Amino acid sequence: MKPPKRPHAPARLRRSPWLLVATQVGAERGRLVPLAAALVLSTLLPLVGPRLTAEFVDRATGGAPLDALLGLGAAYLAVAVAGQVAGIAATTAASGAAWRTTNRLREQVAGHAMRLDMGFHGRHTPGEMIERVDGDLLGLTQFISGFVARALSSVLLLAGTLVLVWRVDWRVGGLLAALVALGATVLITAQRRVVPYASAIREETAQMFGAVEERLAAAEEVRANGAARHAVRRFHEAAERVWSADVRFQVRGGAVLAGTNLLFAVGTAVLLGVGILLRQWGVISVGTIVLLFQYAQMVRSPVEDIVGQAKELHEAGAAATRVAALLAERPAVVWRAEPVSLPATGALSLRFAGVTFAYPGDPPVLDGVDLELAAGRTLGVVGRTGSGKTTLARLALRLYDPTAGRVLLGGVDLRDAGREDLRHRARMVTQEVHLFAASVRDNVTLFDERADDAAVERALESVGLLRWLRALPDGLDTRLGAGGTGLSAGEAQLVALARVFLADPGLVVLDEASSRLDAATEMAVRAATARLLAGRTAIVIAHRLATLVGVDEVAVVEAGRIVEHGPRSALVRDDASRFARLLEGVG
Amino acid sequence: MRYGAWRAGATMARFRLRRYLIGGSFWALNHCLPLVTGLLLKAVFDRVSGVRPAYATGLALLAALVAAEVGRGAVLWSALAYWPGWLQPLAARIRANLLEAVLRAPGPLAGRLPASAGDAVARFRDDVEDLLWFVDGWVDVAGAVVLTAVALAVMLSISPPVTVAAVVPLVGVLAGTRALGRLVRRAHGRMREQGSSVTDLIADLFAGVLTLKTAGAEERAVERFRARNATRRQAAVRAQLVRNLMSSLSGGAAQVTTGLVLLLAAAAMRDGRFTVGDLALFSAYAASLTNLPRWLGSTLVRQREAGVALGRLARLHPEGRLERVLSPGPFADQPPAGRLRALEVRGLTARHGGSDAGIVDVDLTVPAGALTVVTGPVGSGKSTLVRAVLGLIPVEAGGVWWNGAPVPDPGSFLVPPRVAYAGQVARLFSATVEENLRLGWPAGEEELWAALRLAQLDEDVAAMPLGLATVVGPRGSRLSGGQLQRAAVARALVRAPELLVLDDVSSALDQRTEERLWRALADAGITCLAASHRPAALDHADHVVVLDGGRVVRDRVAG
Repeated sequence: MKPPKRPHAPARLRRSPWLLVATQVGAERGRLVPLAAALVLSTLLPLVGPRLTAEFVDRATGGAPLDALLGLGAAYLAVAVAGQVAGIAATTAASGAAWRTTNRLREQVAGHAMRLDMGFHGRHTPGEMIERVDGDLLGLTQFISGFVARALSSVLLLAGTLVLVWRVDWRVGGLLAALVALGATVLITAQRRVVPYASAIREETAQMFGAVEERLAAAEEVRANGAARHAVRRFHEAAERVWSADVRFQVRGGAVLAGTNLLFAVGTAVLLGVGILLRQWGVISVGTIVLLFQYAQMVRSPVEDIVGQAKELHEAGAAATRVAALLAERPAVVWRAEPVSLPATGALSLRFAGVTFAYPGDPPVLDGVDLELAAGRTLGVVGRTGSGKTTLARLALRLYDPTAGRVLLGGVDLRDAGREDLRHRARMVTQEVHLFAASVRDNVTLFDERADDAAVERALESVGLLRWLRALPDGLDTRLGAGGTGLSAGEAQLVALARVFLADPGLVVLDEASSRLDAATEMAVRAATARLLAGRTAIVIAHRLATLVGVDEVAVVEAGRIVEHGPRSALVRDDASRFARLLEGVG
Repeated sequence: MRYGAWRAGATMARFRLRRYLIGGSFWALNHCLPLVTGLLLKAVFDRVSGVRPAYATGLALLAALVAAEVGRGAVLWSALAYWPGWLQPLAARIRANLLEAVLRAPGPLAGRLPASAGDAVARFRDDVEDLLWFVDGWVDVAGAVVLTAVALAVMLSISPPVTVAAVVPLVGVLAGTRALGRLVRRAHGRMREQGSSVTDLIADLFAGVLTLKTAGAEERAVERFRARNATRRQAAVRAQLVRNLMSSLSGGAAQVTTGLVLLLAAAAMRDGRFTVGDLALFSAYAASLTNLPRWLGSTLVRQREAGVALGRLARLHPEGRLERVLSPGPFADQPPAGRLRALEVRGLTARHGGSDAGIVDVDLTVPAGALTVVTGPVGSGKSTLVRAVLGLIPVEAGGVWWNGAPVPDPGSFLVPPRVAYAGQVARLFSATVEENLRLGWPAGEEELWAALRLAQLDEDVAAMPLGLATVVGPRGSRLSGGQLQRAAVARALVRAPELLVLDDVSSALDQRTEERLWRALADAGITCLAASHRPAALDHADHVVVLDGGRVVRDRVAG
């Protein structure tokens, strides 16, 4: 039984999510050096260009030899090309660093999430997990690469420009700094004012298309009820609202854009004016005016980039917080650092000692369960839905810890056992078989690279799938799942059994499959199951009483308690037993 | 002859030609004004270097520069504010025509719409956007052409040999853009593929998390994930690299031009034939000149996308007559209603994908004033029959006769006021109850309540907070399944049709309401053709037709 959905309090964060990101970026250490170098070059080189032109102008008007001028021209070209190359290198390296960092985070998040309890997975669909593992991190990837490529380099470029201009003349430097500050302020405040109008367009557009979708989904009813004209009329009305919203936005957004253009242009003109004055006072040369003019033109893009990145910081921050929140969730089952080993081979005994289990905030699902199953014996568990059968299975595999009491496997308390050890020695065949979109080998070994093909083939042979395997085009490499080879329900169950065969555990928990099979396949599955359970301890959660033909013992569960437990043959013969009565009820 | 993107674009531009030209002029002017700035810069620098005789004071020139920038700002603002006046009505017209075509054009609806409503909306939204984007770009190309022509003319008048320096990089940009364009597309496609591969793996792993957990295979699964992430990273970085190369082309071209200008003008500058002002002008124009190659490249891309969009939109429109998308099609108007004496179905054969196998050679008569129920086991073809009669699905053989006359196109003929329909899945729109019932039908409030009473929904509506004015539907108050079905019936009844066609409209109703509904319909004497397997419907039917495997196996008139 799936744990019921209930409101779940998210784990509180103790540290800033950005610390998480920074740690991963720090792990990049080695690769950061070439990135930094490319970044610095890509900002320094553009700063050299204006110096070269200034030099060129002064020398050309001053009658320098042609060679010198040609040299300067060539140098300018070289620097321009080198600057572009450095820029490409920097942006590409930044992108690589961003992807590496966020990929590590993706792996961390995925691994962490997979190890959380089944309760977590009951609350979150795979679709949601895509959002948590990839969606949020995509935003972070874009932000990190953009931050480095644009924001960092913009800051460097801006700083470099201001410093160089300051060195030429402090008055012009001050002026440029004022222009930058003014430009940034205008951009930030103006953008904030304009955002609601951009949202309004999106809202009206979403409503318009939402209505279109509704009409198209009900196209037959619309048509057969003569409502098409009406639908079109309503559409026109919605389109008019979009038009109005667009105009309102363009008027304001256009004003911001034109205004910003004007601001920087006027600033440049003022700068030019000051430069001319300084020239008249003999402080600077003509070439230097050209220099200042070019630097003045170089400040606009960096300012816009920095302001743009600041906006994205907010969204990326939200994504980082969600990622950190997921990583802060802790699984309830904690494994011991120095575990006690389970017996390495052979069937394992299973014992429930006074086990009580309740999901947090719910009444107990199991109440004081005492159950002993000797090694090598098969136990069939029956009971109505909600009686606690499946929970027994989950506890036997330590998917949850009991709220009270102990579960012992091979005499070892599960709380003392090691995770890998337990997972190897106790296995479950789930009710719904999930086949991964991967090779046959991966589906049987569950992505274990160490298993050799001979062992896999033996496992498939044990369940009677060897002939099926031989008939496959690529053998063990054949892809299963969507887009690959399809399997029938029966074949899927046999693969699930093969997984357990390969693992060779001492305890098998079999949660009876829910899919209905035809008689022949049913027999094949039953035969394979019998082979699997031979010589192993097994618990069979039966949903159909017919399944219990091959078990040694039977336990009847009712309202969280074992109300009957004994050898199957004895219970069947005893007409007064609950088991016998259950059998009669069915028959 | 193929209706290509260029012809479509021309029709679109002609839609409101005056606005297009005025708006286009604003944009073209916006492109060209930097020319003025360049000339003024030349004047300023010439004056500063004292090369040219001073024909205006420095201050005046700077003031002129500022005025030019103010003018540029004003032009840009006007262009931005004016443009929606052309773009939005055109977008609305195209989409409205498409909507009308889908909903009203003759022929069966099924097969015209893509698989899901979501896909259909994507066509409306994105494909139309691609068409518009294409025509939108023309004014920029025009502006860039004028800009380039004038700029080159000015530069040639100053120094032909140096002008060559400016042109050479442009050709390089154009060629480079075409070549890189293909690379960008491929790299981008590959990146998206890898992205899907990663998200598919995530979904797969988490769907099978129980299997992984019980086998202790979480870490191994993460290893696979790591490998796939690495592949995706490579594809993404490659895509980024190619994109960077692309944007670097135009960014670098301006600088390369300046560098070439320096080289080619060095000698002339020494001799004073090429001034500092000239250098400033060439440098300023160098940046502007990269516009044309960029816009040309972009237009070619948009043209390709517009062509694809046209193909996809053509499938939405009947007969793929796309020219009609841009001007409203003359769809048949409301037919005049005449009293129905009998509706006959003869030899109707239709197969439509779905749970029904289809119907074969169905003969059936729906007499006036009677409740005819078509029934049969699941999959016998009841729903298919009803929809085939209404022309909602393609018919292979046979037809429908109205009062003894054949109906050539049931989909256009069998509509209100002749026929009204409530389908198997009751769908309401996000609007008030009143609007949902009317949907443009001129009915008074009395008629609305009468329909609600007949459909057994009047009490429910009266109990709603705002009654008829309550907003319902997907984005409004949730109605129960039974209420939705009754609302769909009421909607059809509002139209006071000669024939009411119902498909399985009482499956979500409780027994008592169901009983009352069918009794009301039977007692009201409405001619009704209903597909249903419900006992209540059969009890009140005047005429029962039984289908099995798509054929009529029994046709009896109740005593």
